[in-house]
Amino acid sequence: MFAFRVLGLVLAIVLSMLVVATVAFVGRERLVRTPGDARRRIRAVLPYFVALAVLLVLNSVIRDLGPEFSWIVGWNITGGIHAIEGQFVAHLQSALFHPALTAYFSFIYVYGYTFLLLFPLVAYFALADTGPLRRTIVAYGLNYGLGVICYIAFIAYGPRNLMPELVDGLLFSTYPQYQLLTAEVNSNTNVFPSLHTSLSVTVALLAARTRDIYRGWWYVATVIATSVVISTMYLGIHWGIDVVAGILLAVASVRLAESSWFDWE
Amino acid sequence: MVAGDRLDRIDGRRRRLLAGLAGVSTGATAGCLQQFRSMANRNSPRDVSLEVKTVPADIDPRGIHIARDVADNLEAVGIGATVTPMDEQELLRDVLINNDFDLYVARHPGYDDPDFLRPLLHSDFVEEPGWQNPFGFTDLEVDDLLDAQRRSSGDRRRRQLSELQRAVARQQPFSVVAFPDDIWAVRTDRFVGWNRFGLRRALGILGLDAETDDPDRLDLVTTDDRLTKNLNPLASEFRNRGTFVGLLYDSLGRRYDGEVRPWLAADWEWSSEGGRPAARVDLREDLTWHDGEPLTADDVAFTYELLADTSLGREEDPIPAPRFRGRVSLVETVRAVGSRTVEFAFADCDPEVAVRAFAVPVLPEAEWESKASEANFAGIGLGGQTTEAVVWDNPNPVGSGPLQFEEREPADSVVFSRFDDHFLHGDEVASRFGATFETLQLQVVPSNDAAIEVLTEARADAAASTIMPKFVPEVAESDDVEVVSKASRSFYHLGFNVERAPLGNPRFRQNVARLLDKGTIVSEVFDDYAVPAATPLAVTDWAAPDLEWDGEDPVVPFFGSGGDLDTDEAHAAFRDAGYRYAKDGSLRNR
Repeated sequence: MFAFRVLGLVLAIVLSMLVVATVAFVGRERLVRTPGDARRRIRAVLPYFVALAVLLVLNSVIRDLGPEFSWIVGWNITGGIHAIEGQFVAHLQSALFHPALTAYFSFIYVYGYTFLLLFPLVAYFALADTGPLRRTIVAYGLNYGLGVICYIAFIAYGPRNLMPELVDGLLFSTYPQYQLLTAEVNSNTNVFPSLHTSLSVTVALLAARTRDIYRGWWYVATVIATSVVISTMYLGIHWGIDVVAGILLAVASVRLAESSWFDWE
Repeated sequence: MVAGDRLDRIDGRRRRLLAGLAGVSTGATAGCLQQFRSMANRNSPRDVSLEVKTVPADIDPRGIHIARDVADNLEAVGIGATVTPMDEQELLRDVLINNDFDLYVARHPGYDDPDFLRPLLHSDFVEEPGWQNPFGFTDLEVDDLLDAQRRSSGDRRRRQLSELQRAVARQQPFSVVAFPDDIWAVRTDRFVGWNRFGLRRALGILGLDAETDDPDRLDLVTTDDRLTKNLNPLASEFRNRGTFVGLLYDSLGRRYDGEVRPWLAADWEWSSEGGRPAARVDLREDLTWHDGEPLTADDVAFTYELLADTSLGREEDPIPAPRFRGRVSLVETVRAVGSRTVEFAFADCDPEVAVRAFAVPVLPEAEWESKASEANFAGIGLGGQTTEAVVWDNPNPVGSGPLQFEEREPADSVVFSRFDDHFLHGDEVASRFGATFETLQLQVVPSNDAAIEVLTEARADAAASTIMPKFVPEVAESDDVEVVSKASRSFYHLGFNVERAPLGNPRFRQNVARLLDKGTIVSEVFDDYAVPAATPLAVTDWAAPDLEWDGEDPVVPFFGSGGDLDTDEAHAAFRDAGYRYAKDGSLRNR
């Protein structure tokens, strides 16, 4: 309930970022041509969109019930992760710590990430070739689908929850209002793998594929994605292992999205 | 825990033995075989590895800090250790119901009388769920002392309690770490009187005074979402002190001004029957349940029967309710005499102890009678282990308390409203405990930080869950938000599962307890908003004088000083206790 005000703010800022980026990267020429061809493009990706929508609805249902279910069948790996990587995140945080960086990474984690996920949908819709858009939707779906399976199979709390005196949950202690929002979306036991990492890396990998069309976006996506990856650890939310797993999930999702399995035409 | 390991090892030994035998000629002597046998039948010692369960920092950063200190120090003395954070009800389920843990760090919900130690430590309760001997601890001397203290009063009881505390401190079925102060953040622009009882008691919420004319809603936030999921007063894993459920369900008596005083009861009269206490309790007139039905003496008698055996005699062995167990175990028989009078006969105990039995929630017979059936999930029974009364989540509670249930949204919020037919409205205690609000809304927030954010923005009146000391300066600086603090009897402790080797050995437990630097924990983890303690009765008049905290624990002092563990001293103590170390420095256990 408390989340609505924060949600409004996030939507307003992300929307303005999208407008600026659309003007800068997509350009007038492509935008002008889009409406005329919109119907064909929509028809081409509609099945994928419907599949993603179904998956997201399913995902939200599972995330509601998931934590309860997870406690029955899941495997609590928090101690194991800590045994492997120890205080890596604590060291990273104390080495980098600076109030300005906290502000930057918090911005990236909430706004940068949302923008990063939404902009490809706009940018690729503006292309006559529907392939990139299709692959983006499929890759997103794979990230969510595989991610949710992991969330049910593994119970893991992030470093801020295991060693609060060493790792500050910087995002939530500096900007508690965001936790009101993220708590609505996700349970604190869902950290392995980092979906922030996997989806951001997915976008960067896809941007690399289209770098001849959107060179500027490729640079920006890479910078934001890298920042998101670091932010998840800098903010004390994810373990290094969650990030590694997230990157692997991203690579797998992009590969699969490009395979013939998902070419339904 | 180790069954798999053991099988592997036996298998390995068998293979080695067979390989050895293959090389032995038929001329092998009996003596040689004998030697093989004595080698092969010897279990090789194995490394000790322990898991420490506790709640994550979002719920309580102090518990997990203590747990990690314990785990780090265990590792430092050659004992493998991991910390496993768990949701609060999952932790309590593992500890209180399933006995599935090695070590845990948690807060005991607190107590009013030392008799709480009887269900906690008496061997009679070892098989029962709830805060009934979760350690599996059995000691005949402790049993005798627990039985003796409830029969006596005054100095005699004090002496017996001192002896009991010494025995428990030596045995260390659990190690008390500290008694924290409860700290709450509250706003005073709409309600005042927060510091009367704090927010941990139902009376504290009822006793708030309105600062403005008729603020219609009391808005509270909490980091504990369990109330939104389950409103059953008997579900031990969902309740700590049962503060909010205590608003919905009244008891015959409530404790205020230092003793249990009549509440639903108009009065009670004590007598003695064959040396045992008995009481005749008269209920107030015109008591009703929230659904309008009258509350009668039959409901009261039924409640005590149900709590003593939630199967109401349907199962071969009684299945007592996991909460209020110590209190209910004081009662021998309950009989309704007429519609407003109930007669109690008590077990062999002192009336001062017996009166505790009146502070349990009275439940409506009409609704709870059907809950005596065996608990089942989608038609699958659980083999007579538990009943519906204990496991159902009571989604639409009907009580007789000052507040009644309105609605709830699991993991999000709960709303109660004032029950206008309650006797508080128009009674002499009303001026103290008559709720000044129409409705009470409790909303879940994800963390302390979020709770304070919501308070600062005036979107709630108080945080019902306690805040961490590190927020005190921030809250103190704010204009409208204030800090309320109360010493508490709800202690942090390290619990041992004595049914799991090597934790069954009291000397091993003592040594593990000596890895706890309670003094440093209090200053670093609690920012000195706590007192370190050696006994669960430490902050009361009943504390044993020789167990007083004197810079260190008088029975299990920390190995080392000033926060630094002396591993040599610890190693020596474990060796003294008969344990051996492998070459790599790990402690071995047969």
